[in-house]
Amino acid sequence: MSMMPRLAAILLLALFTLFAPVNSMAGSSREASAEQSLIAWYALVLQLIRHTPTYSPPVASRSLAYLGVTAFESVASGSDDLQSLAGQLDGLRPLPRRNAGQVYDEGVVLNAALASLVQELFQNTGPTGQRVIGLQDTKQRRLVSEGVPADVIARSEDYGRQIAAHVLAWSRDDGGALVVNMGFPYEYTLTAGAAHWVPTSLISQQQLPLLPKWGSNRTFAMPMGKSCSLPAPPDYSEDKASPFYAEALEVYRTDKNLTTEERAIARFWSDDPMLSPTPPGHWISIALQIIKHDKSDLEKSVDVLARLGVVLADAFIGCWETKFQYDLLRPVTYIRRLIDPKWEPLLITPPFPEYPSGHSTQSAAAAAVLTKLFGENFAFEDRTREGDGLKPRSFASFSAAASEAGISRLYGGIHFRSAIERGLAQGQCVASYANALRTRK
Amino acid sequence: MRSPHLLLAASILASSALASPCMAEESPLLPSFVEETKTAGIDSIYSGEWEYMVGGGVAAFDCSGDGLPDLLLAGGSSPAKFYRNASTPGGRLHFDLQPSGLELDKVTGAYPIDIDGDANMDVMLLRVGENVVMRGLGNCRFERANEMWGFAGGDAWSTAFAATWEGNASWPTLALGNYIDRAKEMEPWGSCTDNWLHRPLAAEGDSERKFAPPVALKPSYCALSMLFTDWDRSGTPSLRISNDREYYEGGQEQLWRILAGEPPSLYTEADGWKPLRIWGMGIASADLDGDGYPDYFLTSMADNKLQMLAGPPQQGEPRPDYKDVAYAKGVTAHRPYLGEDLRPSTAWHAQFEDVNNDGLADLFIAKGNIAKMPDFAAKDPNNLLLQQPDGKFYEAGEKAGVASVATSRGALLVDLNLDGLVDLIVVNRWEKAQLWRNTTPNAGHWIEVRLEQPGANRDGIGAWIEVRRGAAVMRREITVGGGHASGELGWWHFGLGDSVRPEIRVIWPDGAASGWQPVERDGFYIVERDKPVKQWLP
Repeated sequence: MSMMPRLAAILLLALFTLFAPVNSMAGSSREASAEQSLIAWYALVLQLIRHTPTYSPPVASRSLAYLGVTAFESVASGSDDLQSLAGQLDGLRPLPRRNAGQVYDEGVVLNAALASLVQELFQNTGPTGQRVIGLQDTKQRRLVSEGVPADVIARSEDYGRQIAAHVLAWSRDDGGALVVNMGFPYEYTLTAGAAHWVPTSLISQQQLPLLPKWGSNRTFAMPMGKSCSLPAPPDYSEDKASPFYAEALEVYRTDKNLTTEERAIARFWSDDPMLSPTPPGHWISIALQIIKHDKSDLEKSVDVLARLGVVLADAFIGCWETKFQYDLLRPVTYIRRLIDPKWEPLLITPPFPEYPSGHSTQSAAAAAVLTKLFGENFAFEDRTREGDGLKPRSFASFSAAASEAGISRLYGGIHFRSAIERGLAQGQCVASYANALRTRK
Repeated sequence: MRSPHLLLAASILASSALASPCMAEESPLLPSFVEETKTAGIDSIYSGEWEYMVGGGVAAFDCSGDGLPDLLLAGGSSPAKFYRNASTPGGRLHFDLQPSGLELDKVTGAYPIDIDGDANMDVMLLRVGENVVMRGLGNCRFERANEMWGFAGGDAWSTAFAATWEGNASWPTLALGNYIDRAKEMEPWGSCTDNWLHRPLAAEGDSERKFAPPVALKPSYCALSMLFTDWDRSGTPSLRISNDREYYEGGQEQLWRILAGEPPSLYTEADGWKPLRIWGMGIASADLDGDGYPDYFLTSMADNKLQMLAGPPQQGEPRPDYKDVAYAKGVTAHRPYLGEDLRPSTAWHAQFEDVNNDGLADLFIAKGNIAKMPDFAAKDPNNLLLQQPDGKFYEAGEKAGVASVATSRGALLVDLNLDGLVDLIVVNRWEKAQLWRNTTPNAGHWIEVRLEQPGANRDGIGAWIEVRRGAAVMRREITVGGGHASGELGWWHFGLGDSVRPEIRVIWPDGAASGWQPVERDGFYIVERDKPVKQWLP
């Protein structure tokens, strides 16, 4: 490039920046750059969730919420159309603003923000995860920076890190930032009485329930953990004529007579921590598959991921609040006590109270949000568990997928029907708050 | 300040429906160990970064012919170190660092095995890169034998080993366990590379004295320990593999049916095998309950597992259906038992040996953070769990003096000074290996036994040694493999308690059983096939 054209370009850029308060390096290639960075970081996060031992489903949902908000605010800060979530999400104050008249690159901003956030949220992952985070940072920085002037890179990275720092500062006092002993308390008093949860495994660490205080965490869009409370489960009874006994018998008989299809459904949605991206990660995976398949634009993508992250996190807070309110025993405890002492459920019984079903609550919540964003009767195929040798499943709608996720817990022998049906209802309630968020100006 | 462990124990006992079973009212005979690392001349570090986060093994074998076990310590990114045992029998431990030919770099683990049956111990070196089988030349000299024996060393991240002699083969079958694909830097998860089965090269009616090209054991799930073990006492060992769930997708623990002349096949749920998914890192085996079948301890992160057959054999044949009794027996060993650090533990090498000679197998577990994972204990003391008459275990690591909080990996309990008490060597990541001499006063009586048979499989791998003392029969399966990247071959130790005149017999790998032969306690014995037991004096 000769001097004159370069000077002309600088002048042109100066004129352009003078009259544009906030400028982005525009163009479809820049959006594609940002989009691939978004997808790449989310793909890595799903792996890190699976491979970081503290990442039980509630913990995963929390990180996915902050990740979604970070992605959204990074893009919204340079958008004419997106409305910041500051002031809408509990405790989220207005985010740092871009400097007027200066040029930013959307891909670089977003990448820097996501990289910072992931490094912090997964600072406790193992050496392999740390290594991959570092490699990904290097690779993505190179990809998003291609063709971008150095000063724009520096400015954009600095701004992206400010977004991440703001979100991380917001996250630290929500009640869920510190997870010790993989989420199992060192001290806890089990509720006395036959109706209540007792340990269901012979794993020493799991003799006390997972994250008993999670229900009191600060919520995101939902006002508080109790905002979507549920009526009590059916009265505990050992009477064979009681509704409670009937529900237990249903679990037992269903498990004894599972069809191949029901068994496949139970395994598909099992979403065990450390062996899968967990239930909230499963729904994020569904969203990512749709985003890629539909080639959603960047603004739609971050809208989807932010709302979905927020609703999943709220769903776990609400669900956990209810779980520890009623503190109901698991089917395996009741069935072994009264029906068949040698009964083994198909799935591993999670180490916390039964009512309601967490997978049901969060699946219904996720489905309601995705339905609002993509429409009713949106058919899709879910390949989330393909890597684990589980065949893809097809669904006619998000709600159909949520219903299947719910009933899978009965097939798996880990939930009674009431916990599933009311969990699905609770999820609908939780989603109403996330769906009320205003993301467009 | 009150100990967090006391507070924690009080809290859990008060609040949990299931009281912890790990503490018994009476403690068994406490062993006593004295660290002699420095005075014994051991100075070795398992070094290296990411590719050496696993491994860190040690091998013990006698290559000088004096009966004293010599040591080879993996060095990771640094060369391995060979130490010739110069201890005085019954005295303090002393080792001389000397060149042996085994000093390769990138060694993760090592196992002794006499491959060619020439009575000179050979050594399998597991490596990041090419595995190398080293042929013993005598007088503790070794040479590379990959080419001579047709052994394809490959290029993998090898982390597990086991060996057997199939049927009447005159050449062993080696199983090599491999870990992550190093080339998949960005996608390490789900990248487990194939384990290999190196069988003898078949010749007409016999096996040649070479290995055939390895067979891939598909699927493979990032093995960190392997063991050929006759779990059902059928006379044909199967291959148990403990796998690291951190890296596999759709994986689980595995048990391979290895029948001579047939392709390997996995035991499945239809056979009774139940899926178990853990951060599998080490296998220890022993017949703890005296039912004649081996029980298996599997190391992991947080809770560890102790597996016993779930049901009695049906029509004389057991099914590979195991129940986890770690909680009931007090060996979950899921968190540090001393200090202020309550975070979950990370367990590696495990080994059953009777450290106080009371006639009950005890359990040593090497512990150490993978690197600097903040959710897991940084100061994670090694465990020494003493078995009690009721089958439960009692933690004695601190009282015995072996509660090192270094970042441990491989280890061996082995009688290094031939005094009838098993000593302890532990390899540590980024820190010096440690050596302890067992000085337990008033320990019980003991015998140590070595097997010899003519021709192939000279050391009787796959045999069972039985020791009868009164009505009790102790059984020990002779194996090459298991633990974490660590193995020994030589004297097999039995504690006898106060037994006066024990008897021994051997069920050889082909199923032939010797008669019961009385021996004097507190002695070393060589059992040669079809010959009277021979006493050996140090």
